[in-house]
Amino acid sequence: MEQMLLNISSTLPDVSGYVFPNEYVLQWELLIVVYPYLTGLVAGAFILASLERVFKVSVLRPIYRLSLLTALSFMLIAPLPLLAHLGHPERSIEMFLTPHSSSAMAMFGFIYAWYLMVVLLLEIWFDYRKDFIIWAQEASGLKRLMYRVLALGTKDISKGAIDFDEKAGKFITILGIPSAFLLHGYVGFIFGSIKANPWWSSVLMPIVFLFSAIVSGIALVLLIYMISTMFRWKKMNMACVNKLAEFLFYAIIVDFSLELLDFIHRLYESEESIDILSEMISSRLFMSLIVSQIIIGTLVPAVALAFGRFGGFYSEMRRMLFFVAAILVQVGIFSTRWNVVIGGQLFSKSMRGLTVYKVEVFGMEGLLMTILFLVVPFVLLYFMIKIMPPWMDEGLEDIKLDKSNGVTSPPTTA
Amino acid sequence: MSHRPWHIAPLVALFTILIVVFLVARAKLVPETFGDLGFYRAQALDDVSELEISYAGMDACFDCHDDVFEEKSGSYHDGLSCEVCHGPSAKHVDEPDEFTPTAPRERGYCILCHGYNPSRPSGFPQILPEQHNPGKVCMSCHEPHNPLLPHTPEECSACHRDVANVKQVSHHATLECVTCHDVPDAHRTDPRNEHAEKPIDPSTCAKCHADGADSSEKIPRVDIEEHGGRYLCWDCHYPHYPESK
Ligand code: HEC
Ligand code: HEC
Ligand code: HEC
Ligand code: HEC
Ligand code: HEC
Ligand code: HEC
Ligand code: HEC
Ligand code: HEC
Repeated sequence: MEQMLLNISSTLPDVSGYVFPNEYVLQWELLIVVYPYLTGLVAGAFILASLERVFKVSVLRPIYRLSLLTALSFMLIAPLPLLAHLGHPERSIEMFLTPHSSSAMAMFGFIYAWYLMVVLLLEIWFDYRKDFIIWAQEASGLKRLMYRVLALGTKDISKGAIDFDEKAGKFITILGIPSAFLLHGYVGFIFGSIKANPWWSSVLMPIVFLFSAIVSGIALVLLIYMISTMFRWKKMNMACVNKLAEFLFYAIIVDFSLELLDFIHRLYESEESIDILSEMISSRLFMSLIVSQIIIGTLVPAVALAFGRFGGFYSEMRRMLFFVAAILVQVGIFSTRWNVVIGGQLFSKSMRGLTVYKVEVFGMEGLLMTILFLVVPFVLLYFMIKIMPPWMDEGLEDIKLDKSNGVTSPPTTA
Repeated sequence: MSHRPWHIAPLVALFTILIVVFLVARAKLVPETFGDLGFYRAQALDDVSELEISYAGMDACFDCHDDVFEEKSGSYHDGLSCEVCHGPSAKHVDEPDEFTPTAPRERGYCILCHGYNPSRPSGFPQILPEQHNPGKVCMSCHEPHNPLLPHTPEECSACHRDVANVKQVSHHATLECVTCHDVPDAHRTDPRNEHAEKPIDPSTCAKCHADGADSSEKIPRVDIEEHGGRYLCWDCHYPHYPESK
């Protein structure tokens, strides 16, 4: 309590206008920003994978498995920020034991479990089963045992069995698309259904969340693919990278249009909240919304992608453009999450004032924790890739052999 | 289908095991009486009712302290329970000589309810503790069981601190409250029954702001008939802070 009062008094001078006593201090902090960011990456990466599988965009073949593993590693970490925020991880099980059907959060526990167990893990299992069996035969000792276990002891790699795996995998992917939509649409739903908060309350929220998820997912897989190929000293599959950039570009356009629509709608409706919201945008959220989200995170990458994809550059230059664009997109989407979560708590429900949020560095909800949660998925992904290599670069030579495509030296800078 | 997918048998088995484990865990972990009466553990009611009682309730005090009880009943503190100030006193009711309740005699306590806070409704008695007789305990002037004011407040700000604070820094700072409000004297002693009037039509403002009004040159003028159309002046201008948009 005393600590809280100290916190309050340290922020008081920055509060402007009138703010209700319970609004000085934000309840949802940085970790709640991280959570929708992570689930967004999961949903985005998965939807990307299903493009290849269901819609048969075959140039995306090289990143199919990579996207699945990316989705899985981020999926496993995504709930941790929530648990850290709530501070009683042992109680999370209660939600599954006695869920209340009127609680969106409780129902979502099951969507999450369904998505993890039935969609992601199953799809990955069916896709990798044959490889597990082959790797088990090639390896020995503990490693062999591990692959055996991963294959759940199955040994059948006859054509019939593989065909069945293929069909089952496809079926699950089809099931997975609505699940992925639900996964991230829900996060938007939670915010969008908060009637009392004019910054959140919008039916467009789930859809906007979904598309920003797709944007961030594609950009992430693009980044991981580019970096990992560099480190593996392989040549990049330019057709695939081009396609990814193209999809990323379209997704950004759709996402931006939706956000714009939402914005225009608010402006036109011009409810009593509009004044305080515009004040918030032009003061507290100026850097994170106008500069970071819209300019750096949307417009610049969109232009870079359009130039890179359709500008007729050498592939070296293209890659640079794509790479930079993908990084900026991550910055932009993170800012999007920030603006939603933090923005919704900065203005007073009296519509008369704004409070401030100062990020703390240490502590359970501080900057260090956040960085930890953003780094751990990559570590996890690294180990997954070690155990079950997702590479599918048949037909691609090592980089040194290639002279035909404008690539003259291995890209050492990154 | 020509090929029978026997190879997924372990998978099916695994899922079956997981589901069974979940169901068993659920049966074991969900408290037995959960859901009997509602979405909670019915046994919790019994558990709670077995807890030691710390509050006796106001009526219990009447038996021995009827004087205080009666005094308080007619006062402004009528709505307050005795134990909100004296703390949980169930033990005192059982054994009055063993346990005596505390009485909050410091200034800080009354301020919990009476310190100025903008979220408290206008008219609720509030003071600025730094300005209201600092250094003296409240009891030297106010009797806690019958907090009559030593004398009738002169200023409206004694009870309408929020309005006064805002008006003080507005362009209407120099205006007396009674310029616009018709206030019976009794309102200062019995505000809930003797109501103060609020202006009901623009003529209040017209006194000073109409084009032809007999008021200081410096006051901005508007055409009362045209300006604002069919709305009341205070639909757009907050009268205690008219410059706000
Ligand atoms: C059974 C009779 C009885 C009941 C019921 C009772 N009291 Fe008392 N109370 C006493 C007696 C006797 C004393 C004087 C004790 C002493 O002076 O040590 C006393 C003293 C007090 C005092 C004075 C303590 C002080 O510091 O001087 C307070 C305050 C008080 N009671 C509050 C309450 C409240 C509140 C209740 C109701 C929840 C209550 N009492 C119910 C008998 C009772
Ligand atoms: C607003 C807070 C408040 C409430 C409500 C309140 N009291 Fe008190 N009470 C006090 C304070 C403060 C004192 C000490 C007065 C003093 O020292 O001058 C006190 C003193 C007493 C005393 C001992 C002195 C005396 O005046 O006899 C008794 C007995 C008592 N209260 C009983 C009660 C009972 C019974 C009720 C409920 C009917 C009650 N009080 C409600 C604040 C309160
Ligand atoms: C639990 C909250 C609470 C506490 C503690 C409390 N009061 Fe009050 N007080 C009230 C309420 C409620 C009213 C009635 C307000 C109304 O009628 O609008 C009131 C009214 C008053 C009034 C106004 C009388 C008037 O004529 O306007 C005075 C003076 C007062 N209290 C003094 C005190 C003192 C002194 C203390 C400390 C012993 C105290 N109060 C503690 C809630 C509290
Ligand atoms: C020196 C005597 C004195 C002391 C000490 C004192 N007051 Fe007052 N109080 C008054 C007088 C006189 C008024 C009459 C209103 C006015 O003119 O300001 C008053 C008015 C009030 C009011 C009513 C204002 C309103 O809005 O109706 C409250 C509440 C109040 N006092 C609470 C307290 C509290 C709480 C304390 C202790 C922190 C306290 N007083 C200490 C003399 C005193
Ligand atoms: C003793 C405290 C007290 C004083 C002094 C006092 N008022 Fe009030 N006033 C109240 C209370 C309490 C109410 C709320 C009455 C109700 O809600 O029924 C009120 C209500 C009002 C209202 C009506 C608000 C409404 O929404 O209808 C006006 C206007 C008003 N007061 C003006 C004044 C003015 C002007 C003065 C000074 C001349 C003044 N009051 C002095 C306590 C006070
Ligand atoms: C310029 C004229 C004017 C002056 C001066 C003025 N008022 Fe008012 N007041 C109004 C009008 C008009 C309303 C009605 C507003 C409404 O109905 O929305 C009002 C409403 C109120 C209310 C109802 C609640 C609220 O906040 O709107 C209170 C209480 C009140 N006045 C108290 C005061 C007090 C106390 C003062 C002196 C400090 C004062 N007024 C000075 C014009 C005035
Ligand atoms: C007793 C005269 C008087 C009355 C009655 C009066 N006002 Fe004023 N008003 C003034 C004065 C004096 C100023 C300040 C002029 C200046 O800026 O020096 C002013 C300024 C204003 C302003 C301009 C604020 C600005 O932005 O500069 C508005 C709007 C206003 N009053 C609205 C109202 C309304 C609405 C009412 C009726 C509820 C009202 N007034 C009643 C004297 C009055
Ligand atoms: C529909 C909303 C509305 C209503 C109703 C309204 N006003 Fe205004 N008033 C305004 C606006 C907007 C301005 C600011 C105009 C500007 O700055 O040019 C204004 C300005 C003023 C000014 C300041 C003019 C100046 O020169 O600075 C005064 C005085 C004023 N109004 C008084 C009144 C009075 C008296 C009434 C009631 C008869 C009233 N208003 C009703 C919207 C309204």
